[in-house]
Formats: sequence, C-alpha cells, structure tokens
Amino acid sequence: MANPLMRDVLIEELCSIARRDPDVYFIAADLGAAALDSFREELPRQFIHSGISEQNMIDVAAGLATCGKKVYCYAMSSFITARCYEQIKVALGAMNQPVTLISVGVGMGYDDAGPTHYTTEDIAIMRALPGIEVLSPADAESTLAIARHTHAKPAFRYLRLERPALPPVYQGDFAAALPAGFARVAPGSKVAIVSSGYMLHRSLEARALLAAQGVEPAVFDLFRVKPLDPAALVAALAPYDAVVTVEEQWLAGGFGSVVLEAFSDVGSTKRVVRIGLPDRWFFENGGRKPVLDAFGLGVADIARAVGELHSSPGREGA
Amino acid sequence: MSKHNDLIERSHWLRRTVFEMVMTTKRGHVPSSFSCAEILVSLFYGGVARYTRGDPTDPNRDRVYMSKGHAAHALYPILADIGYFPTEELARYTKPEGLLRMYADPSIPGIEAICGSLGHGLGIAAGVCMASRNDGRDVRSFVVLGDGECYEGSVWETAMFAAQQGLDNLVAIVDRNALCILGRTEDLVRLEPIDEKWRSFGWEVVRVDGHSHTALLDAFARVGKTGGKPLCIVADTVKGKGVSFMEGRSEWHNRMPSPEQLEQARRDLETNRITN
Repeated sequence: MANPLMRDVLIEELCSIARRDPDVYFIAADLGAAALDSFREELPRQFIHSGISEQNMIDVAAGLATCGKKVYCYAMSSFITARCYEQIKVALGAMNQPVTLISVGVGMGYDDAGPTHYTTEDIAIMRALPGIEVLSPADAESTLAIARHTHAKPAFRYLRLERPALPPVYQGDFAAALPAGFARVAPGSKVAIVSSGYMLHRSLEARALLAAQGVEPAVFDLFRVKPLDPAALVAALAPYDAVVTVEEQWLAGGFGSVVLEAFSDVGSTKRVVRIGLPDRWFFENGGRKPVLDAFGLGVADIARAVGELHSSPGREGA
Repeated sequence: MSKHNDLIERSHWLRRTVFEMVMTTKRGHVPSSFSCAEILVSLFYGGVARYTRGDPTDPNRDRVYMSKGHAAHALYPILADIGYFPTEELARYTKPEGLLRMYADPSIPGIEAICGSLGHGLGIAAGVCMASRNDGRDVRSFVVLGDGECYEGSVWETAMFAAQQGLDNLVAIVDRNALCILGRTEDLVRLEPIDEKWRSFGWEVVRVDGHSHTALLDAFARVGKTGGKPLCIVADTVKGKGVSFMEGRSEWHNRMPSPEQLEQARRDLETNRITN
C-alpha cells in the first residue's frame, strides 16, 4: 500500500476526534486535502473557511479559543507563518491560546514554486515565540500520534507537515518517544546525525550509503525542537564523538542552532557540524530533490560530512 | 436624573478620570480616549452591553473590545466602577506595582484581548461570535475600531468573513475622529466614503454623531435587528473632545501638556459637558 499523505493522516484523525468532541474547530485558508472533504461534509459547524485571509484565520481562531474551543488552523507553510506572524505572536502567543497551526509543505515541499512558497526559515521564526511547541513528524505513524497528542494536550503549537508522502521511520515505537521530543531511529557509532522530517529520510539514505564503506553513524529524529530538554539531548548524544545536523532551512537560528544551543547550554564543546541551505534565495527549476542536491543537501553531501568526521580524531565533549 | 443626563454626567466623569489617570505618569493617549468617551459610556451605562457587576468572567457577558488599543485605558475607570478590579488601581496606572498598563491585555479583568497592535480586535470578536452562536449563547461582541485602524487590511479580511458568516451578534463601532498621528486621514490616505465601504462588504451600517448618547443608543438599538448582518456604527467624533486645545489637533496624539496646559485642560474638563 502506498504511503499516505501526512495531511490526510492528520485530518482523518482530527475528523474522528471532532465527531466525539464538538469543541474541535478546523479553519482552512483555502488549502484542501482528500480527508478534508469528509470533515467539511460531516461536520460543517466545526469547519470554517476563513477565506485566503490568514490574518483573519488566526484572529478568529484566537476568539474561538477564548471560548474554550480547540482550534486547528490549516494552510500552506509560507502563509500560516510569516504571512500572519504578528497575529500568531499577539493573538495566540501573548494571549496564550491553545491553537494548533498545521503548516503544510515545509521547506521546499512545493517543488519549483520558489521563495514565496518555500519555508526555509520557519523553524527559526516560529521557535522564537515563547511558549510554542514546534513539531516535525517524519512519517504517518508519528503524524497520527501527534494528531492525538494535539487534542489530548491543547497548546500553542506549530505542526510542520511534509507535503509528499514519506516512507515509515517508526514501527510502533513513536508514541514512546513522544514525551522526550527526539528518538534514535538508527544505531551507530562515532558520529550521530540529527535531523527531522524530509531531511531525516535523506539522512537515513546517507547512512545506508556509508554502511557500504564500513561507516555507521547513528541517526536521531529531533521531531520537537521546542520545548527541548538540552541535558537530555546532550546525554543521548554523549556516546558519539561528533554530531552532524541536517536541515532544509537557512542556518540562521534554525534546526542546527537548536542543537548547538543545547550543547552550549550544558557547557559541552562537542564538535557539531551544521548542514543546511546556503544564505541565498532559490529560484531554480527542477524540483526539490535536484535543488537540494545542487546546494549541499544531497545524500552524498551528508555522507561526506559524516565520513570526514568519522576519520578525524575524536574530541571528547562534556 | 434622566437617563440621558446620567450618561452625560458619566461621560464627564470618564473624561476627567481618564485624564487624571494618564497625568499621574504621563503615559497614554488622551485625545483618542476622548473621541470615544460617549461610545464607551453608552455601551456600559446605556443598557447596551450586558455584564455582571464584579464578575468579569461570566461566560454569558457581552464582549467589549477596544481594538484601537492605544485608547484601551479609557475603559479602566469603567471596569473599576463595575467592580472588575479595585478603584485604587487607577492611581497605580502604569506604575510598577500597578495592575493597569498603557496597552491593555487580558491579565486585566474585563480586557478581552491584547490590542496594542491594530487590526486584531474584529477578528478575535468574530471568533467569539461564532463560538457563542454555535453554543447557543446570546453573546454579542462590541468592537471599538479606530478610523485609522481601518487602514489595516486585516480589518477588511474579517469584515468580509463576518458578513459571509452572518454574524449579527457582531457590532463594530468606528470611532471616526478623522485624525491619525501625522494628520487628517482624508489628506493622507482617504477613508471616505467609509460607511459605504462597510455597507459594500455586507454590513448593516448606520452613521451617527459619536458624541450624542441619543444617536448612539438609537444605533445600538439595531443590534440583532439587521436581518442576519453584522452591524457597523460609524461614529463621527472629534479627537480630543472636551479639551479645547486638543480638539481636532493630530499633534496631541501622545503629547503631554505643559503645566499651564494641564490647568487649562482641567478647567475645560470641569466646565465642558458634551450635551448633544
């Protein structure tokens, strides 16, 4: 069976939850999904089309939430982040409203669309907001568990969904990993790769490539960059001499920065190499994969970075 | 005292109280508060907004939003008067030990939203109106918008949305004082015909003298009688109303008076009663 789309997994589960819980509201800013059609049809009172008006969407969500509603806002990544950032900051963040933002197509998920549709900064800008939870599932299982988690524990939350269907990473073990916010998804030694979402899969491919050369890095899925217990992450990475972070983001304040901050916060000087997008805009055609390959985020690029660290003398961290 | 005279006296009281409150630490926006004094007094003392004295969290209360958040402090004397917090807080306004801040937020009882940034109140209120309607609660939201706030695109996003949703429990009151910080709106970026703009977005619109309690109460009487439309009251007002040297003068937006002007303002506020 083909891998399901994350958004369909999420919305199907939310629909099933919303049938039992009339306080669940779903607001869409004109983005569809196969699973959304049945939600709209079955639960019209709980489905709202905000118009292509993300500012309105977030403010309306805040108003609903002040009345005890559990609100989900749904739009393309670009338009549910920077487009309405002030509404998120003020009406949700500063007012402490438990609204989940469902962001579809993170990174360069909208192939060939260019800077308007790419979110290559969303981790940096969203995690900057106090009190927010930032989650990036990497497969259907993690998406489903996170869907349940958002309803069980309503909070100010940013949920980063990949646009394409991705193969499974977890085999029934994600729920146990959820409280920690990260999980080792492949064992290894000397070097650990830390990534999430789409790039987690590229990282696993790089590991497979390296295995043929006798190099086996561990791979960690850091699916929740905030909140994060830095001591727990650093302890989990303690067995490795070096860490490579892999992200489809600009490096300024992004995913790799989260890991660096954790090491800095606990006073560790472990070698951390960040791989991410160069500091430029992307207008190139060809789709997500070729563009990532051309700009330093290819499977071979990840493998090379790991290989270099693997062969260099280890440096003990704290 | 007739109801009308009572409202006039309360507006008189509100202006003087807000003025002295702002003057304690010289933080705030006096002219923006004075243009909407009659609007707020009509809402809270004219039998329009429904609330329970002393209970700011009554789920069935009507919501009042000062979406023009720079003037939200004009609500403080009223909120204290209806028992939401002790009147002594007014003397501690913007002081480190005080509850009340220059820009209001929901940590202050009776403040429904944080509106220091313009263009948020209407959308938040629309969400409350939808939830209330779906839950079968007869809750209305009254949103005081600045006319300059209507430059914000988010206002019109919600204006479209609220009309589509038929939110006849949503009321926008545009404090049309015709000034923003750098001058007259019509000289900067034209807003007129502002009533026609709202009407064309699907709202029931009434335009009134925003310093006349009679006219305002007539307008508020249309709430819920709009055939399923949200109601917009365009209230023509004067920025700084009640202080002679501030009236209609944009430079007073957040300027503080000299000692001589302070005394002049106090004399004006003591003697002036807005009686239209």
